Amino acid sequence: MDALLIDKHVKYIQSLGENTDDLMYHLTAHLRLNAIYWGLTALFIMGHPEALVKEDVIAFVMSCWDDDEGAFGAHPGHDAHVLPTLSSIQILVMYDEVERADKERLVSYLAARQNPSGSFSGDRWGETDTRFSYITLQALELLGRLDAIDKEKAVAHIRRCKNYDGGFGATEGAESHSGQVFVCTAALTILDRLDEIDQPNLAWWLAERQLPNGGLNGRPEKLEDVCYSFWVLSALSILHKLKWIDSDALIRFILSAQDPDGGGIADRPGDMVDVFHTVFGLCGLSLLGHPDVREINPIYCLPAEIAKKRGLHMNYQVLGKDEA
Amino acid sequence: MSHGVKRARESADVVAARREKERSKLNAYLELTDDVLARKRASAFTQESFDLTTKLLGLNPELYSIWNYRRLILLNGLFPNLSPEGIFTLLQSELNFTTGALKVHPKVYWIWNHRRWCLANVPPGPDGAPVEKSWKRQMWTRELFIDERMLEADARNFHAWNYRRNILASDPGLRTLQDELTYTKKKIEASFSNFSAWHQRSKVYTALWEEGSSAEDVRKVKDTEFEFVQQALYTDPGDQSAWLYHRWLIGNGEDLPVLKREIAAIEELLSVEPDSKWCLETLVHYKRLLTSRSHMDETELAALKKETNVMLEKLQGIDPKRRIRYQELGM
Repeated sequence: MDALLIDKHVKYIQSLGENTDDLMYHLTAHLRLNAIYWGLTALFIMGHPEALVKEDVIAFVMSCWDDDEGAFGAHPGHDAHVLPTLSSIQILVMYDEVERADKERLVSYLAARQNPSGSFSGDRWGETDTRFSYITLQALELLGRLDAIDKEKAVAHIRRCKNYDGGFGATEGAESHSGQVFVCTAALTILDRLDEIDQPNLAWWLAERQLPNGGLNGRPEKLEDVCYSFWVLSALSILHKLKWIDSDALIRFILSAQDPDGGGIADRPGDMVDVFHTVFGLCGLSLLGHPDVREINPIYCLPAEIAKKRGLHMNYQVLGKDEA
Repeated sequence: MSHGVKRARESADVVAARREKERSKLNAYLELTDDVLARKRASAFTQESFDLTTKLLGLNPELYSIWNYRRLILLNGLFPNLSPEGIFTLLQSELNFTTGALKVHPKVYWIWNHRRWCLANVPPGPDGAPVEKSWKRQMWTRELFIDERMLEADARNFHAWNYRRNILASDPGLRTLQDELTYTKKKIEASFSNFSAWHQRSKVYTALWEEGSSAEDVRKVKDTEFEFVQQALYTDPGDQSAWLYHRWLIGNGEDLPVLKREIAAIEELLSVEPDSKWCLETLVHYKRLLTSRSHMDETELAALKKETNVMLEKLQGIDPKRRIRYQELGM
């Protein structure tokens, strides 16, 4: 089995901010705050939180504040949206600096995203998606203000997005997809409503995501991809069914997708790496009990020690931990 | 995020040469971005600003804030000077612009969102025209056509399927549920492993039955569906898509005679394909449904448990990745 190249991954993440004369760097500006959150989470669970300069990161986060709307945009001058807003809050929480944000305005922005049906929009333009339900719920829990929305309606909307295979889609009527399964399962955990899940059925559907090469796919009859190591495993972890897949085969698959020279993890062996697949590959290894990775809390995709300190939900499974 | 792009090791020289070549492109891009963002901050809702957003989004359709700005220009700068017909024409060109973007970037959420917004803003008209001739119908008809081209390019693109459901819900007069059954059948016949189409078919039937069908009608339809799905199961017993659909048809096994008939049919397939994981897995599931649906005495229950445990044991060997699950189910 390949070794986990921690040092190379740390250097790879550090190097991401140095490519400012690369066109690709600028074409991904809309993902910058997400990318910093992915990179920082990866560094935390690799035991190197100091690898980025804390004050620089926080200064960048604060520069993305959209004062017209009272939430964060993806980049300075970009519009507020729940996606970069959650990333910002997560970064501030990891650094224990959440007090720097204007909590009151954030809570009213986030609460205003809930629609009368119980669904959530990503911003004022109204796209709805179960991802946005999860994002808003997590952000509000991190701010200690889950009371700001109608929880019953939030649950009812997620219930309407449930399919007969036990999985969940992005909207009512949409096909089950591992990414949406993760967000709905984690959202229901935050709402203390796991009873809404058809557990044996969903865990079976998730276990069937594993392909002969050990990798996981996102939907039936699709290709494997390292990022599903987190979407599928997080849900299996919340359902305490991680053993329903072959963890050794998946660990081998994730490790084989590393770039042995430049560091980072790709979607599949031999492909270009990026920080998104790097963090979700590492999170997968964490849940499978890889000894070199610290524990991730899959409900929030935050380092476990931080979630624990803040008294967040902690009912999930990690292989090799607390087991006879 | 990059998907499916092969890794190429670039030497420092190659990187430097590439960056040199890209430099003018990069500078132009940054200059344009700064210009458009400055105009956005200044709430400049002019035609000139609109044209600059066209240029910038052509280079990078992921800039959601620029799509937002573009809509603000339309609402505040361009629509107020146009007749309803002018707005209709402008929205048509807006859709043409995003069609081009979708061909290159079929999975960018913001492009699909912009289309939805355009369609929601089609004015009523032309005056006095019947529904079939309305601008709205013209637009949605074209959307359905484009959506089908997108599903031809990638039959599993969930953006295109979600958009399709949105089209059908927004203009229910466009297609009947029966038309949609024909469409899903066509997609399934083109590829039995297209689970997205099987999924859509299950949703269409659910909607149809909710409109009001007798139990007898539902049963008849399900019988033909069972025959249809059998073809897929026999074509490739290893393809999960059809098995999932079969499971949807069975549901909780409320219809006991059908459950028994289907168990017999799968047992027949198993006799041809004795190592079929999906035959065994499905039989275990259905036989367990049988115990909850019919009144069995203890001897019958014990016999059935023994039988499913033999299958679960076999599954542990055939499908070792999920060995622990089969073990747990056998307990």
